[in-house]
Amino acid sequence: MKAARAPLGRVVATERRPNTPHEFHFWTALDSPVGIGTIVRVEGANPIGGHLPQIYGIVVEGFSYTDLMTPIHDLLGHDGTPGSASLSATQRTEIRLYTAHVLRQLPEEPLQPVPMGQVFLANDDDVAIGLRMDGYLKEGSRTGIPVGVYRAGGTDAPIYLDADFLIGPEAAHLNITGVSGLATKTSAIEWIMSSIFSHFPAQKGSIAAVAFNVKGPDLCFLDQPGEIGDDDRALYEKCGVEPGPFRNVKYYAPFKSDGISLNTLRSNEALSHNVLPLTWGLREVLQYAEVLLNKDDVDAKADALIDFIRERIVDREFSDPLLGNKRYLVRSFADLEAWFRDVLSALEGKNADGWRTHHVATIRKVRNRLSNISTRCAGLVTDDGAVSDLPFGSFDDRTVYVIDVASLEEDAQDLIFARVVTKLREHLEKRDLGVNHVIVFVDELNKYAPNDGQETYVRKMLLDLAERGRYLGLVLFSAQQFRSQVHRRVVGNSGTALYGRMDADELATPGYAVLSPAVKTKLATLEKGQLMVRHPHFTQPIFVRFPRPAVMRGRDGAERYPQAVDVDLDAAVLRSLRTLDPSLTLGWVQNAIGIREDEDVIRARNATLRERPADVRKFFLAQLRPVVAPQDAPRSTTATPVRVAPADDPYGF
Amino acid sequence: MPTATLSPAPYSAQSLDRWLDETVPDSVAVQGEAPLELSNPDPPRLSQALVIEGRDLAARSVEGAVEVGFAAFLDGRQSTETKRYLRGGVPIVLGSVGAAIRERRDRRLTTWEHRVERALYLSRPHVSHEVWQALRSGAYQVRDTTEDAAALLAHPLALREAALQRVQHDRERVEESLAKRWCLEETRPLLIDGGISGTESVARSTLAVGVVKSHRTLYASGEALNVVLGLEERQRSSVFVVASEKRERVASWYLRLRNWSRRDPMWGLVRVEVAMPASDVTGRADEVSRWILAEAHPVALPDSRWDKMVYGVRDCEEFLRAVM
Repeated sequence: MKAARAPLGRVVATERRPNTPHEFHFWTALDSPVGIGTIVRVEGANPIGGHLPQIYGIVVEGFSYTDLMTPIHDLLGHDGTPGSASLSATQRTEIRLYTAHVLRQLPEEPLQPVPMGQVFLANDDDVAIGLRMDGYLKEGSRTGIPVGVYRAGGTDAPIYLDADFLIGPEAAHLNITGVSGLATKTSAIEWIMSSIFSHFPAQKGSIAAVAFNVKGPDLCFLDQPGEIGDDDRALYEKCGVEPGPFRNVKYYAPFKSDGISLNTLRSNEALSHNVLPLTWGLREVLQYAEVLLNKDDVDAKADALIDFIRERIVDREFSDPLLGNKRYLVRSFADLEAWFRDVLSALEGKNADGWRTHHVATIRKVRNRLSNISTRCAGLVTDDGAVSDLPFGSFDDRTVYVIDVASLEEDAQDLIFARVVTKLREHLEKRDLGVNHVIVFVDELNKYAPNDGQETYVRKMLLDLAERGRYLGLVLFSAQQFRSQVHRRVVGNSGTALYGRMDADELATPGYAVLSPAVKTKLATLEKGQLMVRHPHFTQPIFVRFPRPAVMRGRDGAERYPQAVDVDLDAAVLRSLRTLDPSLTLGWVQNAIGIREDEDVIRARNATLRERPADVRKFFLAQLRPVVAPQDAPRSTTATPVRVAPADDPYGF
Repeated sequence: MPTATLSPAPYSAQSLDRWLDETVPDSVAVQGEAPLELSNPDPPRLSQALVIEGRDLAARSVEGAVEVGFAAFLDGRQSTETKRYLRGGVPIVLGSVGAAIRERRDRRLTTWEHRVERALYLSRPHVSHEVWQALRSGAYQVRDTTEDAAALLAHPLALREAALQRVQHDRERVEESLAKRWCLEETRPLLIDGGISGTESVARSTLAVGVVKSHRTLYASGEALNVVLGLEERQRSSVFVVASEKRERVASWYLRLRNWSRRDPMWGLVRVEVAMPASDVTGRADEVSRWILAEAHPVALPDSRWDKMVYGVRDCEEFLRAVM
């Protein structure tokens, strides 16, 4: 097959521009299909150790010139009249000269400068060998994950990433960078997750994804089909991925601050069947207090008091002589507030300035900061301690868990992020998460792990995830507009890096110095659906095309499934409970709620949603506090006699 | 169908030196000597010619718009390198000659055919039979530079001159063989760098047009010379006949390709040779002149002779420089 193909170029080398073991030059006909990013194969003419050398390379630079010594010769030749150039009977000799970086040499030893030889366009097999994909595409030990299709000169070759280097344990993590507005980053992540779910090797176990939706409706419709064209279908077919939405998606979102409706753009009733509330109580939050409390808030003294509360107060029976040996069981922010109030009252009553080594000022400060959390994270953190969480321990294979934090305050976002990732890590360490591997997708990484600014809990956690997650099966897929603004250790630990269209200013930063000017130019002009891929097996970056994800785009979804309008409590309760029992009616809900307080109703609704009971009506009613039934005042059967004034009462009437 | 005849260099330069060391031990190796082509050019001279267009040699404007007529270009190239000297200053010269026809297809030039030959040139009478046979047994052909000499040459410069002439002869032979083949097989005009009168079949072919850039011999004198040197851009001289004992009769005229104001009188001046026209001498001269004028662009820069050289010829030279 190889012999039948015509060469498209010849290797050339001069003393001024020699070939090296990592770089070579070749020329082609003017109409050859070679361009920046094209993969070629060189056939050497002289055997090395009995083998004709085969060199695989990728074009990184191109030159074109004629036999003119200086531009002024052309001007002279045409008497300064540009139009007369087209009248020439002969066109000047012109060259297309390309520089290619070596992807692989066979034999690999001895490593020699690239020899002179014929240059061929790489076919599918050449691409696989040149990118060292042959090592992980063998039948029986196949770990390839299609990332897209390499396309050049009639060659349409799927490009595979090695699951061992994408998901771990050899290397792991994926980072994608590119300008905003082209939908490249989100689309690419959605496509790659589809590809992983389709091709993740059975021998490596199960895998799920946790995606943080940080802006708009980007990830809100992953389970809805989107429109794709024939070109995209062809790419799906080439990559062996079924075009379609994700089959298993679960959405989590905190409530709005009123606690009635969920704080997500995916609030349309038609899509509410897999949208669950995300609420945490005191216990869940206190562990991550340092996420919300900055260093000015939490000095060593305050930290000690928080530790004391976490270890001795929360979820434990507590009594103290200062408090009159009253027994406390603190399970919620409301309980904690009551406890603080009693402690401070007792101290004031005794005119004491400290309790158990904690100064009263420290106690006041910690009370203030902790109590404030439920206000700052209203909707996520509940006063009553009610918890609705991700199903840690029962994660399902090939399922995407989307946590919508797009509308939350920064503190709440940080808290969610920190707790979810920490819980994932804890469960993966104990091997009881329910799946063997979890992909965590974080967009806007330059916000969460910037390369400058003060150290934050979230950044520390991301660094830990990037550096140690692969041993646990916890993999970070991250995205940002400016890679140069992300902490180096986070992006540096990403074994696989994807680049969409890049901003010229970003390309001018030192991190891109290894790329040739032509590659940078190509990056700055990449079309939608094109990516540059760096992967541990690829010695040079590769350009690929990927299909549009077959899921509904956020913008389309927001138009088709508009956000539900805020409604009264009874309608909100009906909307929530109908996901469990569609037979419920507004009349029944109104009748059940009656005159109860809103907080009571919300607590009952949340408990029902958490429990998901078989008999929703019965369970919901059971959660409501009983209301004292109205009673008529008892009537005496005998008439009360009218008091008669004493006869001798001079003032009587 | 384009073909190539190429005698590849069988030895690297170092290998050839070693082989000559062994084969001709009684000789002295030299390095860096100037090529023979740079020495002793032909002396300039004026020659008479018979005018066949009108009565006297006159300046004539080329009638009509320029038009593309040539389908291909032919040029040759030679190079010499003195490798060793035998006793008595007898040079052993490595000579390379080549010729190429570059055909124009879709405004781009491609090779129709090319030939390259390499040989060792030396004077047979100055070496022993054994050495001559030893040299002949090597990978290079060996050419006797003095086989046509009337007497034994003894002056070292005369021997160098003889070697140069033999190389030139071989170059012309290679060029003529290509030109003959074109004229036999093709039906389209061919522009040949230099004269065409050396080979009968070429000199009589209506396909071959020779363009001579050097004017060591000028076919005009007296007032006629003033006419030739005074030609303006797009003017040609009257047609005359070039004839000699060893060459075929051909029709010829001078043509000014470019405006020569404030330059030397021969700037942009070429002499054209075509087969003797059977009739309409003027029409044929104007037609061919229009074809040549069409080749004035693109200019053959950076070649120093760009004023007279058409781009197709420069392309042949560059091609031969690459393959020789």
